[in-house]
Amino acid sequence: MASRYDRAITVFSPDGHLFQVEYAQEAVKKGSTAVGIRGTNIVVLGVEKKSVAKLQDERTVRKICALDDHVCMAFAGLTADARVVINKARVECQSHKLTVEDPVTVEYITRFIATLKQKYTQSNGRRPFGISALIVGFDDDGIPRLYQTDPSGTYHAWKANAIGRSAKTVREFLEKNYTEDAIAHDNEAIKLAIRALLEVVQSGGKNIELAIIRRNQPLKMFSAKEIELQVNEIEKEKEEAEKKKSKKTT
Amino acid sequence: MAATFFGEVVRTPCRAGTEDEEEEEEGRRETPEDREVRRQLARKREVRLFRRQTKTMLEVSLLEKHPCSKFIIAIGNNAVAFLSSFVMNSGTWEEVGCAKLWNEWCRTTDTAHLSPTEAFCVFYHLKSNPSVFGSCPRRNMQVTILTCRHVTDYKTSESTSSLHTPFLKALKTQNFKEPPFCSLLEQPNIVHDLPAAVLSYCQVWRIPAILYLCYTDVMKLDLITVEAFKPVLSSRSLKCLVKNIPQSTEILKKLMTTNEIQSNIYT
Repeated sequence: MASRYDRAITVFSPDGHLFQVEYAQEAVKKGSTAVGIRGTNIVVLGVEKKSVAKLQDERTVRKICALDDHVCMAFAGLTADARVVINKARVECQSHKLTVEDPVTVEYITRFIATLKQKYTQSNGRRPFGISALIVGFDDDGIPRLYQTDPSGTYHAWKANAIGRSAKTVREFLEKNYTEDAIAHDNEAIKLAIRALLEVVQSGGKNIELAIIRRNQPLKMFSAKEIELQVNEIEKEKEEAEKKKSKKTT
Repeated sequence: MAATFFGEVVRTPCRAGTEDEEEEEEGRRETPEDREVRRQLARKREVRLFRRQTKTMLEVSLLEKHPCSKFIIAIGNNAVAFLSSFVMNSGTWEEVGCAKLWNEWCRTTDTAHLSPTEAFCVFYHLKSNPSVFGSCPRRNMQVTILTCRHVTDYKTSESTSSLHTPFLKALKTQNFKEPPFCSLLEQPNIVHDLPAAVLSYCQVWRIPAILYLCYTDVMKLDLITVEAFKPVLSSRSLKCLVKNIPQSTEILKKLMTTNEIQSNIYT
């Protein structure tokens, strides 16, 4: 049945599916994992870096992009689609600032991106964007936000979420380990993001990229050394926890 | 009867047979030229068994030359990576032959000289344990087949978002008495291509065989998919062949990095 109703975006199948949108969600799963966590005073975005070819300039392969000084996003899926969406969002952020003299709220820019994506699911001759995005930032009221959008054009607020390959595994890890204590301290929120990624990242800390935004501070990208430090701390904590466990059993 | 998108008329298939059968047959009727082309292509199709080191042809029946009690076949890059890192890593395996084929769907145009690097299938036997290839009659042979399939092919009444990919499903012949290491493949799911052919052959010839099918959402070489085959290591066929699991995991990681294809389409 799918083969008759999946070639045109503007056609519903008899049981109500828009197959092109569902297939676009499969394209998202081909991108590497991205995780977002909303802490009490911090928002964290962690991504699995793709290994870069020897002759390729690493700076041009970025999964985390700033949309404005106080908002940034990570995506998973088709690189070129992401570039188009990010450019449009950045222009919208500035246009909003010039028109209304206020920076965008995280919800506003998320709604803009989601509306853009939805338009492409209802247009003749166009296909949906093959990306999901995690958008984080602080509003003027100082409240941290995390939103997720998907190719269908829906968006939801989340406390913590993951997108891309193995997103389900990471989400389950977050469901088990996201507690109010865990996110109360900035460092703990950062560690939670790294631990979630280490569940699925194939070559450890070298392939992780991390960005944070603290209240009233600009976006900060972690250097490889800083990530390595965090990973070492996490491994030490793991070892100590295991030692305690083995002591208890003996 | 027909759905249209962009002015395209699509004929819906009908199980009772179409009313316009005669009209369609006229359009489909083969000319003598078509038949001749088809005959020539069929003549060109070939399957050859080689010994790679000497590049000599082997006698047709490899299993008659090397009768064995355990035959393990891996189909697809993840299954092959699993077998190479976990099973073939322990002990010395000697290559006894390789099979190459050509048919009209192959991309190479040169039929006369199939190069040694284009082997379709390579056969190995365990040097240190000749009883694995002993002189047991075919009846005592046990066959294990490992393969992968994309999870979107998996039909289930459950919601697909609740599936924990990758997961294993098994299908076995009537003569296979051991319990499988995962649940059996439920209807209406079916197995396709080479794994299905091997399993059907074993069922017809009453050879005990089991097929382990891994449903995954990453068809290219992927660590998590390969590790999904690990429960199979406890089976009777593979238990004695596997020695060093931590080393195998290291070998697997190396295999991953050497095989990584650089694609910038998805990030």
